[in-house]
Amino acid sequence: MSRTEAERISDVRQVLEAARTLVRERAELAAEIARTTGLSPEGVELAMTEHLETTATDAELASLVARAGDAPRVHVILSANVFIAALRAIAIARAASRFVTVRPSRREPVFARALVGALGCTEITLAENVAPMEVTGGEIHVYGRDETIARVRAAARPGVVVRGHGAGMGIAWIGPGWPVSEAARALASDVVPFDQRGCLSPRVALVLGDEARAEAFAEALHDVLGAWETKVPRGELSREEAETAARYSETMTFAGKVFEAPGHIVALAHEGSVLAVPPPGRHVHVARVSDARSVASRIAPLSRAIVAVGASDPTEARAFAPAHARVSVLGQMQRPPLDGPVDNR
Amino acid sequence: MPELFDRLACDLARFQASRVEGYGKLCRARGVNLSTLSQATDAPAVPTDAFKIARVATFPEDAAVATFRTSGTTVGARGTHAMRDTASYDAAAVAFGRWALAAELSERVPVVVLGPSPNEAPDSSLGHMNGLFVDAFGLPAPVEHTYFISDDVLDVAGLDERVAFAMAQGREAMIVLATSFALVHLLDALDDAPFRLPQNTRVMQTGGFKGRSREMDAKRLRRDLARAFKIDERQIVLEYGMTELSSQFYEATVAKNDAPAWVYVEPPWARVVPVDAVTLEPVADGEVGIARIEDLMNVDSAFAVLAADRVRRVGAGFELLGREPDASPRGCSIAIDEMLGR
Repeated sequence: MSRTEAERISDVRQVLEAARTLVRERAELAAEIARTTGLSPEGVELAMTEHLETTATDAELASLVARAGDAPRVHVILSANVFIAALRAIAIARAASRFVTVRPSRREPVFARALVGALGCTEITLAENVAPMEVTGGEIHVYGRDETIARVRAAARPGVVVRGHGAGMGIAWIGPGWPVSEAARALASDVVPFDQRGCLSPRVALVLGDEARAEAFAEALHDVLGAWETKVPRGELSREEAETAARYSETMTFAGKVFEAPGHIVALAHEGSVLAVPPPGRHVHVARVSDARSVASRIAPLSRAIVAVGASDPTEARAFAPAHARVSVLGQMQRPPLDGPVDNR
Repeated sequence: MPELFDRLACDLARFQASRVEGYGKLCRARGVNLSTLSQATDAPAVPTDAFKIARVATFPEDAAVATFRTSGTTVGARGTHAMRDTASYDAAAVAFGRWALAAELSERVPVVVLGPSPNEAPDSSLGHMNGLFVDAFGLPAPVEHTYFISDDVLDVAGLDERVAFAMAQGREAMIVLATSFALVHLLDALDDAPFRLPQNTRVMQTGGFKGRSREMDAKRLRRDLARAFKIDERQIVLEYGMTELSSQFYEATVAKNDAPAWVYVEPPWARVVPVDAVTLEPVADGEVGIARIEDLMNVDSAFAVLAADRVRRVGAGFELLGREPDASPRGCSIAIDEMLGR
């Protein structure tokens, strides 16, 4: 029997309640998450207490339910995601269907498993594997890289709906309205969560103004990220991240100016140069923009990947942000309302 | 003579640091004292990415006589390598190409290129090099009988005609210059049919597939090519080069009877040093590192280039192991490779 909107919202609220329980009783869980994710214990604490979407308004949940559709069963494949993303993924699946199967990410399985366990609901189950070709009906929600999504789509049987949620990145717009120190503080609070491994995490900052303003911003961001390092140290980088970061540092030392500390890199590019995207791990590419009207063309090559734009003035940013991107004020990029998928592509 | 190599390399490092602002900054940032520098590996290498976002040249833009660009489509940028004089590039390429591909050929031979003509791809360093080899080793032939890719289409019939003509003339050797993906397209077009080449033919194979053909295992591709061409596998010679360099590396299987396959050798004026991808320090002999390429022909750009390919020293040469295997990234932040679609 199909559920009413109110029943669906109620079911989603149970998912949020389970998450709140995990947060309240997080000591052991947080330690285990730190071990598997590579985040520092402080980084896990920050994510669980500040960025896990344990509350939502009725309007947000109504939106989430409306966007989720209706399916007899949803199979959730978590392939590449930050650990807290399991909550939104399960909430969306639960909104769409009474019956949900969750295959946790092999890299970050702990939170998803704990959340399903805390729900204690026979209609939401864990699976070690979900083979798309064996799914005979309903929907598959896959969270991961483009190639993973493509593989699942190719393997899915006719009639099975595959909803892909791909990887992405954020960019920041530092317009004329804010002092650079304030903008740097806000941006840093978007960069630090999940050590910048989220699809909303900003990796490029565009600063409107002259060279002095761009440099002042880069320096301020370097200072603020340094201060964050003492409160919430960066966790361990993967070998691949460390290698790409070393290469990025060499490249930008040659091609710009680098402000580097053990826990982060801020690189200031010359005006007009191609936007380089640093690897995750608290690395920010700062580029000067002398004319706001040039931003759209400047970011065009990255447009497909940009899922979030943080701005000192979101109204300004909407003029150039890709239509699919979430636009928010700086400092709020990692706090998207629970109104649907974070990825609107 | 490593001492001479280092002396020349250090002179280049000093010259480039004084003329290329970015390289001067890189040397200062890495604490390199250029006045006392005596080992080339102590000087920093310029990552290939820098060629995409900055100018890497010791001379003003208007002095460039040739500008080569990478083929990869990246986030709005192609790597650019400008030259104010190609004479040393040309001489070095022909000298080492002759050693690797034309050994024991006493006369000019038909040279065919499974690639566009230099006129069609004027900013391709590979196209430039192919043109040099056609001029240096080849019998005179019109462009349409030399270059067999135009507008991305491989002219198999034209190639067949040129080969048949060479065979009818009793030619014992040809030189075939080709990208890996062009060779795959040729095999696909042949559909298992033989395509006999003169028995002493040498095939230079370069580059990866770049999504322009189906991917093929390297050993299988070699086996299938040798079978189709009716030549020994050792006559198929891999070349490794890149736009950012002025030198190339080859398997020595044609030049030396006992040279191992799959091992590239350097000309005396270049060397490949595997370095740790994080510390950028040389790794122990026999270990895998990313390629730091010291190229004394890169006089006006960067004598040391940090490539993204993994390599391992083997005897007197090195193995090319390609890019890092695709590691599963943490989180859902997009990977740079994914963004670039590579």
